[in-house]
Amino acid sequence: MRIPVSWLRELVRIPNPPEGPATIGALADALTMRGFEVGAIEAWPDPDGEEDPSTANDAILDLEITTNRPDCLSVLGIAREVGAIYGADLVDPVLADDPAPDAKPAVSITILDEDTALCPRYVGALANVEVGPSPRWLTTRLEAADVRPINNVVDVTNYVMLELGQPMHAFDLSKLAGPEIRVRRARAGETVRTLDGVDRTLTTEMLTIADAERPVAVAGVMGGAESEVSAATRTILLEAAYFDPISVRRTNKQLTLSTDASYRFERGADPEAPVRAVRRALQLLRDLGAGQPRGPLIDCHPAPVSPKVVSLRHGRIGRVLGQTIEEDFVAPTLARLGFTAEPTADNGAGMSWLVTVPTFRVDVNREEDLIEEVARHHGYDRLPTTFPSLTRPAAPAAPWLRRDRLVRRLLTGCGFTEAITYGFIERDAALAVQPDADDIVALANPLSELGAVLRPSLVPGLVDSLIHNRRREQQDIRLFELGSRFRQSAGETPALGLVVTGSAAPLHWSNIQREGDLFDLSGVIARVAAGFGGAVRMEPETAPAMVVGRTARVLIDVNGETRPFGLTGQLDPTLATARGLPGQGAVYVAELDLRCLDMGVFDRMQAAPVPRYPSITRDLSLEIDDALPAAEVRDTIRAAGGPYLIDIQEVDRYQGKGVASGAVSLSVRLTFRAPDRTLTDPEVQAATNDLVQALAATHQAALR
Amino acid sequence: MSAPADIDSIRAAFTADLEAVASEQDLQTVRDRYLGRKQGAVAALMKSMAGAAPEDRPALGKAANLLKQEIDAALTAQREALAATARPAGAVDVTLPGRPLLFGQRHPLTSIRESVETIFEAMGFEILQGPQVEDDYHNFEALNMPPDHPARDMQDTFYLEREMPGGTGVEGSSPPATLLRTHTSGMQIRYMETHEPPVRIIAPGLVYRRDTPDLTHSPMFQQVEGLLVGEGVTMADLKGTLVSFLQRFFDADTQVMFRPSFFPYTEPSAEVFISCVFCKGDGCAVCKETGWLEILGCGMVHPALFEKVGYDPERYTGWAFGIGIDRVALLKYQVEDIRLFYDNDLRLLEQFPH
Repeated sequence: MRIPVSWLRELVRIPNPPEGPATIGALADALTMRGFEVGAIEAWPDPDGEEDPSTANDAILDLEITTNRPDCLSVLGIAREVGAIYGADLVDPVLADDPAPDAKPAVSITILDEDTALCPRYVGALANVEVGPSPRWLTTRLEAADVRPINNVVDVTNYVMLELGQPMHAFDLSKLAGPEIRVRRARAGETVRTLDGVDRTLTTEMLTIADAERPVAVAGVMGGAESEVSAATRTILLEAAYFDPISVRRTNKQLTLSTDASYRFERGADPEAPVRAVRRALQLLRDLGAGQPRGPLIDCHPAPVSPKVVSLRHGRIGRVLGQTIEEDFVAPTLARLGFTAEPTADNGAGMSWLVTVPTFRVDVNREEDLIEEVARHHGYDRLPTTFPSLTRPAAPAAPWLRRDRLVRRLLTGCGFTEAITYGFIERDAALAVQPDADDIVALANPLSELGAVLRPSLVPGLVDSLIHNRRREQQDIRLFELGSRFRQSAGETPALGLVVTGSAAPLHWSNIQREGDLFDLSGVIARVAAGFGGAVRMEPETAPAMVVGRTARVLIDVNGETRPFGLTGQLDPTLATARGLPGQGAVYVAELDLRCLDMGVFDRMQAAPVPRYPSITRDLSLEIDDALPAAEVRDTIRAAGGPYLIDIQEVDRYQGKGVASGAVSLSVRLTFRAPDRTLTDPEVQAATNDLVQALAATHQAALR
Repeated sequence: MSAPADIDSIRAAFTADLEAVASEQDLQTVRDRYLGRKQGAVAALMKSMAGAAPEDRPALGKAANLLKQEIDAALTAQREALAATARPAGAVDVTLPGRPLLFGQRHPLTSIRESVETIFEAMGFEILQGPQVEDDYHNFEALNMPPDHPARDMQDTFYLEREMPGGTGVEGSSPPATLLRTHTSGMQIRYMETHEPPVRIIAPGLVYRRDTPDLTHSPMFQQVEGLLVGEGVTMADLKGTLVSFLQRFFDADTQVMFRPSFFPYTEPSAEVFISCVFCKGDGCAVCKETGWLEILGCGMVHPALFEKVGYDPERYTGWAFGIGIDRVALLKYQVEDIRLFYDNDLRLLEQFPH
C-alpha cells in the first residue's frame, strides 16, 4: 500500500514535534514498530527531487500490510494507526448528503434471498455525469498509489477505494438492460466479458452483478466491459457493497483474476463502509464538477451484522505479556483505534472492559487480539526479557536423533560427505528405480516436470548430485544422505542413501591407485552396521537400474534377528549416462532402511572380558568352484569349526595359473582361542581337520 | 696428471680440486692425487728435490712438509664437513605431504541445524521429528487456518495427486497425507494432542513451499520451530529465550529487535531482527542499509490452538517461534544463493570440514 504523507495528513491531524514525528522517517519508524513495515520512503511529488525523502515535507510511504489488516489497505486505516501513535484526532472526509432520501429510486436493486450470505449489503446511487479527465491533484495521487487514471468517474471510484478502503464500481446505466440490478449467482454456462477484455465463463458458485438479462460484473472481482463507463456515458450507477470473503476468494482463484477489489474483499471489507463510500464518491464528483446525484441513495441491506463485543481483563494482559500495562493506557489506545471500551464492575478480580469491535476490524475476535493491540501500541521493545522456569527436566534425546547423529559420524569418518537433495524428482528418474507407477506418489501441482513426483528412493537424487560433481572436475565422489522416501503403499520411511565413484584412495605421491568398487561400499555398509552392533550379510539380487551380477540384497543381523536392510550394487551405466554422467567410471549405490539401526543396543551394551590367553591362527588355501559364494564357505567353516573358532577372514582370492579352470583359490585365516586356557596345537589341528573335511564334503573343496 | 713443478702451483691445483669435492669418494680421489705414496703430487715433489741444489734442500723440504700438513688438514676438515651434512641411513624426506585421510563432512545445513538443536537442548527442550507429508488438519486447520483462509497464500502448498498413508513413525492419530508440510508446526499439534503441559519442544525438519527458486527461495528448505507451553508463560519469556539463543548462536553483542507481525497461529505475533552480522548495524548492502536482518517469526500461541488440542487457554499460555535454517546459513556463511545448498557441489560442501 503506497500512501502520500500529504494525503494521510488530510485524514489525521499529525501533531508537530515534540509530540509528533520530527520527520517522515520518524513517522515511518513509528508505523514499522507497530506492525506496518515501511519498506521504502519515496520522493514525491517530484520523484527526481534531490531532497532526502525521509526528511522532506512530503513523500510516499510504501507500507507492507499483513493479511489480517484489510482495514489498513486505505489511507483512513493508516490514519487511524497514526492517530493512536500520537494521540491525534481523525478528520472525517467530506461526504455528500443523501440527495433525495424520500424520493422513489429510479433503479431497482435486489439481492436474491439465497445469496444474501454472499452479499449482505449492496448500496447504489445514480448520478448524471460528464465524463472527462480528472484534475492533476487527483491523478497524481492515484499514480502515487500505483493506480492508473482512466477518467474522472472511474478515478473517483478508485480514489474512494484508496481513501476509505471500500472498493467501488460505476456502471453505464444506458448499457444495462433496464434500470435494474440483481445480485445473484451465475447460471451454468453464463459468460461475461470483463474490463480486461477477457470472456469469462462463470460457474454456478460465482456471485455476479446482473441486470435484468445477464451478468454485468463478477461480484467483488471485476466489472463487465459492456457496461464500462465511456466518454459517451451520461448516467452512472455507483456500486459499493460487502461481499463474502470466501466467495470472492474462490471466484478469483478459479478465474485466476486478482484485482485491487478482490484483494480487499477476500481479506474482509467493512459492512458499514458502503454508504459512506457512495456519499464520498458523490461528493467528489460534485467537487470535480463531474456529476450530480440523481435520486436517492439505495441501501439494500438484507443481513445487517451487529458488532462483536469482546471482554478484556487487565490482569490477563499482564499474564500474557509478562508486564503490567497501566490501565489508563488501555482504554484510550483502543478508543483511538475505533474500539469502544466500557469498564465493567470490578468484582475483585481486577479491572476489565467490555470492548465493542468496529466492523472494519475483521481480525479482532477475542481477548488475545485486543491484548495484541495494547502490546503493539505500548511497544514490544518495552517488554522485559525474562526466562521461563524449567518445571521438569527435558526428555532424553529421541532415539532417531541419536541414530542420525551417529550415522553421520560413522559415514563422515568413512570419507563420505553429506548431501541434501530435493524430496521431489522427475517421474522418469523415479520409475527407473521403482517401475510400479502405481506406487509412485505424484504431486498435483509440481513447479515443473523436474519435481513431478516424491522420491521413492534417495538414489536418483544422489546420483544426480554425483553427476553434478563429475561434470565439475571432481573425480572421486562419496556422498550420503539421510532422508525420507515416499511410496503410495508404504508411506514415508527414513532411509540412508550412498553413492560412490572414482578412486578408492586420494591421490598421493606414495599411492598405487585403485578404482573403488562394490567392496569399498559393502565395507562402509558393514561399518555402519557395526556402529549399531549389527553385522551385514549380502545375497545376490537383481533390481531395477542395477547391473545384474553386481547387486546384492543387504541383510542385517542385530540382536539375534535378521532383517532386510537394503540394496547395494553397481548402477546401470546406461542409466548413469542417460542422466548425464560423463566418461566411463562405474557408480556404486546403496539404499538402506534406517529403521534397522536401533539405538537400543547402546542401552544393553556390556563389555566382554578382555582375552587372557593367546590365540592361534591357521591359514588354509582352498580350491573351490568359482560360482560358490564365499558366504557359504564361511557358513560351513563356522558350523564345523568347533567352539574355539573365533574369527574367519578371507585373505586371498586367486584364479589363473595353478588353479583349475572354473575354480578359484580362496585363502582363509582362522583364529582359535579358548577363554580359559591356552589352546594346544593338537586341539587346533583337530578343529581344522574337522572343518576341512566338512568343506570337502559340502563343497568338494580341496586343500591346495 | 703430471706432478706440478712447484709448491705454489700444487697448492693452487689442490684448492681448486678440493672445492669440487662433493662426496666421500671425491675426497679419496683428491687425497690419492696429492698425498698418494707413489703417485701423489707431494711425493713427486719430494722426489724432485733430489735434483735441487744441496743448500736449498732443507728449505724446500720444510716447505714441502708444510704443504703436506696443510693438505692433510684441509682434507680432514672437508671430511668432517661432509660427514656433518650426510643423510643418516634410513632418512626420509620429511617435507613430503602426509597421506590425506578419507574424511567427509556434514552438510552445512546440518551443522547449523545441530548447533541450533544443541542450544535449545541445553535450555531443556526436547527435539521432535515428524512426517514431511501431512494432512490438511495438522498443517493448516489446527493452526487456525481454515480452508479459504487468505493466510494460506503466505504458504503456497504442494498437494499430492492421491492420498498416501500419513504420519509414519509419529505418535497420535495419522490421517492420510494430502500435502507436503509447509512448516513443522504439525508436529507441535501432534505433540500437544498426546502430551499434557508443560511443553518444551523444538521441531526441526524439511518443509516445502511452492516458491519459484531464486537466490533466496527454494521450494524445499529447513526449519526449526519451537513451542513452550505452561502456567505463567509470558511474551517476556519469549523475548528472553530468543535473545539468549540469538546471542549464543551469532555473538554475545548481537542486538535483537521485536516488531509486531501477523501469523494465524500466534497472537500477539512478532518478527525478530538482529543487528546485521556483516556491518554490525552500520548499514550495508546485505541489510539494505537498515542495520537489521530479519531472522525469525514468533508469538504467543493463539488460544484457538489450545482449544483444538484440549488445553485450557485460561490456565496455560505458551509461545512459539520458527527459524529458517537455510536463511541463517546464508547469513552465517555468506553464501549468495540458497540453491547452492541443494546442488551438493563438493567445492562448497568441503569448505565446512566440521
